[in-house]
Amino acid sequence: MTDFDLELDSNLEFEPDILTFCCNWCSYAGADLAGVSRLQYPANNRIVRVMCSSRIEPTFILEAFKEGADGVLVTGCHIGDCHYIEGNEHTDVRMKEMVEALERLGLGERLHLEWVSAAEGKKFQETMIDFVEKIKALGPSPLKQ
Amino acid sequence: MPSNIQLCYQCGKCTAICPVRRVVKTSPRTTIYQSNVYGIDSDDIWNCLTCNRCYDTCPQGVDYPEFVREERANRDSTGAGAGTKIAHEGVFTLLAGMMADLGNSRTTLKEAGNERSKVGYYPGCLDFHDMFFNVDVDFKAIAVSSMELLGDMELDPKLLQMKCCGHDQLWQGDKTTFDKLKEQNTKLIEESGIETLVTSCAECYRTLSQDYDLPVKVVHISQLLKDANLNTSTATTTDPGINVTYHDACRLGRHMGEYDAPRDALTNSGASITEMKHNKNDSWCCGVSSMMNCNDRSKALRKAKLDEAKDTGADVLITTCPKCLAHLTCMKTEQESVENYEFEIKDLTVFLAEQKGGKKDE
Repeated sequence: MTDFDLELDSNLEFEPDILTFCCNWCSYAGADLAGVSRLQYPANNRIVRVMCSSRIEPTFILEAFKEGADGVLVTGCHIGDCHYIEGNEHTDVRMKEMVEALERLGLGERLHLEWVSAAEGKKFQETMIDFVEKIKALGPSPLKQ
Repeated sequence: MPSNIQLCYQCGKCTAICPVRRVVKTSPRTTIYQSNVYGIDSDDIWNCLTCNRCYDTCPQGVDYPEFVREERANRDSTGAGAGTKIAHEGVFTLLAGMMADLGNSRTTLKEAGNERSKVGYYPGCLDFHDMFFNVDVDFKAIAVSSMELLGDMELDPKLLQMKCCGHDQLWQGDKTTFDKLKEQNTKLIEESGIETLVTSCAECYRTLSQDYDLPVKVVHISQLLKDANLNTSTATTTDPGINVTYHDACRLGRHMGEYDAPRDALTNSGASITEMKHNKNDSWCCGVSSMMNCNDRSKALRKAKLDEAKDTGADVLITTCPKCLAHLTCMKTEQESVENYEFEIKDLTVFLAEQKGGKKDE
């Protein structure tokens, strides 16, 4: 590697890898709406579509961090709007426990839960921008190789 | 220490006595025979609960659980517990693995105690139990009660902020993670300046005293409690006391040979103990060890255990291992619709702390 390359490398901004879970009925449609409305947001996220946000097990999130994700964003329907009546209420409880567990590992701030409905393309965009900014400020995950 | 299965002369006492054998077609004798004679790697090792029942019985002193542990480590090619399903989707294994890789992570509980104390209390993974077990048990109460009881004994303890002890990883065959945790914990203990390390968990006790090389003395809290004067035994002359039964956790009983200390502690507190049909070194297992093999078969073992406890007519089932506590409580809740278990399941420290509090109120 030449000196020139080194200089270039140090100028590169940290681009986080963010894993986003979207539920099939609300937040994935919300992400879709953000797309068709041509709302711009950072390209750091990788979306995984699940049928319901309550499908997301604690191990999914831990596995994501283990594999080098800098942040995990969990999105689902608003409370009361769940396609499966009360699935997202389970998510709510589980994610609170998960944040607590991750705090013990020093990763608590890297997990975020947000309710996004199918009509909230704008909110999806804003959530994304805010979360990427937050993770950029935190820096790379200590588990990243 | 390499396992000594070559000593086996195939008497079959291990298979006859094996608790898992009652529910699964498993045979320690055959597994040893195949390994010794043909060099076959039997998948039977994944069924073993490593409860040490066979080692306790073996006339030759063959340490089958040790053999199982080594074999699991040797065969671990695609991550921990490759040959079996780990309970709770392996969330504890993942957490411990991440804890081993992260420098500053600890299992922490808020009560910190005296910073300069020579006695350290290690709560283990109680806080994670609270987060991920869906049972009606307050695990943090074990830590709180232990600290309270140690305080009453004027030991002035401090709560150690260590990582997971690595017990489950070791027995699941993930030696790499265990070694990392061991190294980091040993350093933390050395830095803390304690002389005595107290645990309230049978698994931590076994791991810290046998699998770690610590410069400090490791004791289980029951060994301190048996000699302690906790002002709970005042009413014994008139009041026969609460009727309890005690479940020997395999790690404290058969692994560490400590059968009497918890019983003495209970008797001192004014409780009367009714023993289960199978007790002390003959005790039946809670069915899950190292977070492995939580399935229909081990549930049958737990059902048998609960039925035995029911037969004693005791009001409280006491144990010294948070995992036994969790799994027996889980089974009790599950069975409530068909069976009527009228006893409570409690940890030794929680029970003693409650007894003490109750007597104060009178």
